[in-house]
Amino acid sequence: MTKKLAVLLVISFFSAVLPVGIALAGPTMDLTVSAAISLKNAFEEIGKLYESRNKNTKVLFNLGASGDLVTQIKGGAPIDVFASAALKDMDKLDSAGFVVKDTRTNFAANTVVLIVPSSSKITIPSFEDLKKPEIKKIAMGNPKTVPAGRYAAETFQYYKISDMIHNKLILTENVRQVLDYVYRGEVDAGVVYSTDAMVRQQGVKIILTAPEASHKPVIYPIAVVKGTKNEQAANSFVALVTSEEGQKILSQYGFKPIASAK
Amino acid sequence: MDDSLLFSLKLSVQVATVATVLVVMVGLSAAYLLSRKNFPGKELLDILLTLPLVLPPTVTGYYLIVLFGRNGLLGRYLYAWTGWSIMFTWYAAVLASFVVALPLMVKTARAAIESVDENLIRASYTLGHSEYRTALKVILPLARKGIVAGTILSFARAMGEFGATLMIAGNIPGRTNTMPLAIYSAAGSGDRSQAAIMVMVFTLFSGFFLYVASKLSRRVL
Amino acid sequence: MGLSVKVNKIVNGFSLDAEWTIGNELAVLFGCSGAGKSLTLQMIAGLLSPDRGFIHLNERTFFDGSTGRNLPPQERSCGYVFQDLALFPHMTIRENILYGAHGLSKADREQQAGTMLETFKITGLEDKYPSEISGGQKQRVALARALIRRPDALLLDEPFSALDNPLRAEMQHFLQEIRREFSIPLVFVTHDILEAYSMADKIIVYANGRVAQSGSPQEVFTNPASREVEQLVNTRERLLQSVESLPCMSKY
Repeated sequence: MTKKLAVLLVISFFSAVLPVGIALAGPTMDLTVSAAISLKNAFEEIGKLYESRNKNTKVLFNLGASGDLVTQIKGGAPIDVFASAALKDMDKLDSAGFVVKDTRTNFAANTVVLIVPSSSKITIPSFEDLKKPEIKKIAMGNPKTVPAGRYAAETFQYYKISDMIHNKLILTENVRQVLDYVYRGEVDAGVVYSTDAMVRQQGVKIILTAPEASHKPVIYPIAVVKGTKNEQAANSFVALVTSEEGQKILSQYGFKPIASAK
Repeated sequence: MDDSLLFSLKLSVQVATVATVLVVMVGLSAAYLLSRKNFPGKELLDILLTLPLVLPPTVTGYYLIVLFGRNGLLGRYLYAWTGWSIMFTWYAAVLASFVVALPLMVKTARAAIESVDENLIRASYTLGHSEYRTALKVILPLARKGIVAGTILSFARAMGEFGATLMIAGNIPGRTNTMPLAIYSAAGSGDRSQAAIMVMVFTLFSGFFLYVASKLSRRVL
Repeated sequence: MGLSVKVNKIVNGFSLDAEWTIGNELAVLFGCSGAGKSLTLQMIAGLLSPDRGFIHLNERTFFDGSTGRNLPPQERSCGYVFQDLALFPHMTIRENILYGAHGLSKADREQQAGTMLETFKITGLEDKYPSEISGGQKQRVALARALIRRPDALLLDEPFSALDNPLRAEMQHFLQEIRREFSIPLVFVTHDILEAYSMADKIIVYANGRVAQSGSPQEVFTNPASREVEQLVNTRERLLQSVESLPCMSKY
């Protein structure tokens, strides 16, 4: 009886592991792209376009806060392409030696906005009004790892309200989480990109746009990561993003297409 | 050790302690009910109480948001009456730890209670003691090994809680960033040395806790 | 007055239908294992409820199926000695004995404890734990604990079955003394014919969940009411064989 059981266990173990083994061995033409989470919708569409043009390549997206993504790549994650929501993160990766020479280029720009839940009745004519007591919780990305959080902090600094709203701040792990909190009414207001607000038009409304002078320019760079096992595919993906078609998709989602050949 | 590290450690211990106290109170009661009573919906209660054990903490966290978020099924009433939401407070961290640690307590306590010789309980009744007194003077003392083990497990689990806590308490420095969350932030932002120090402190603390716990339990048992 | 029992119960396919009455005497419920004796005892104590019937002790009604009255065991004042004695392993002998005396004042408790320890010849053991005393001593502690509150009846479920013969004889003798001291109904369950014969004022023979016969040991042995009873009480055969009785074995 126990012998039968042992045989059964061994067989089921291997039949569970085998398909995984085969999957891992997979087509060597997979492309892994680490991208700032604000690029989610636009890049997923570009990814599909890429796959339709390159039938035996699958594009896998690893989305998150740019800062986290940099840490992953520096930690040895097998990433082929990296796109961040700020120049700072790409600089960090570059100075650590993880960017393939001459593949880095800027491909989009964005604007920083303040959003509130659609049902909110609070009036906020200016950023300074965030001091108001009716506004109890403000969500923003964690400046340590989220570019949108850094831009938000810079904007608050610009309007000189940082100290006064300090206790109202709810820090999140990425910008889409801010969007979610505002959408669900967990917070009274949040700082996201205008492109994020577009994704949730029915649930949130843009109340203010941060003037360009209040924060560092919101520019998205893209590059091929050193150590990629698929340099050719990585390069052609970057080319697609900066091409007319890629730029068109980006602008459909609210980004400012600014691809400049570098 | 800097202020933020101290704060995170203190917060973790505080959250875990409060959560464990709640777990013991609720868990013992539930374990007693499940092991000694029959009632409609008993199976369902058992499953509900075991669920956080098999669900990933993020799923548990999601359910907690659905229930206790500002617009949640229960949270909306709390907000309407008091203007207060549990989200992003250390109470939320306690709630998350409580929910994930509860199954551990219920399972171990229930097994311990069920192992008490039924004749001893019957004897207590024939000697004139109510069900409550019997539970206090006969069942609990005889089940204490399992109860102590359950308490230690619960505290350990509460200290290490991350996923659900991140979702409902958030990772707010100086307010809700327990040790596991603080380590996650430090590691994520590339602050290796800070992360390393915190990891070491947390490990030492955990080791110390286990040592004290085993010493104390040997005395109690 | 005494103890008057009429109980019906179906549990796990087994059907119990028993009726008997005793006074302030030592009655033995005798029969094979599984005949319903322990079940009856548990129902008298209130640990189990009959499906139908009634149980009266003196003027009090413990259970009455027709009125729905069902007194919880805590209020029945029945001392109970379990087969495995059920001494609380985490309490000392003194604490075990005093466990039944919680209604009394502090002074009374100490006095009662002292009396019990003397009466049952277990002085000096107060601070020991059940695991530290002998089988015979455990028996007496169990009896002391059950009797400290002067219950209105004493129920014993094969309490001496684990003892060796000399010790068993001693305990049987002891029980007779108790019977003289406390004038209450004693109900003693056993499947040992010799024990039944030597202890009982009245024997109530159980077979297959029914009372096959009841009467004095003399009556039952000389005039068995049925083939069944005859097989059970056939003393000559019993004396020649070892402990387990043949009719009981043949049931399995």
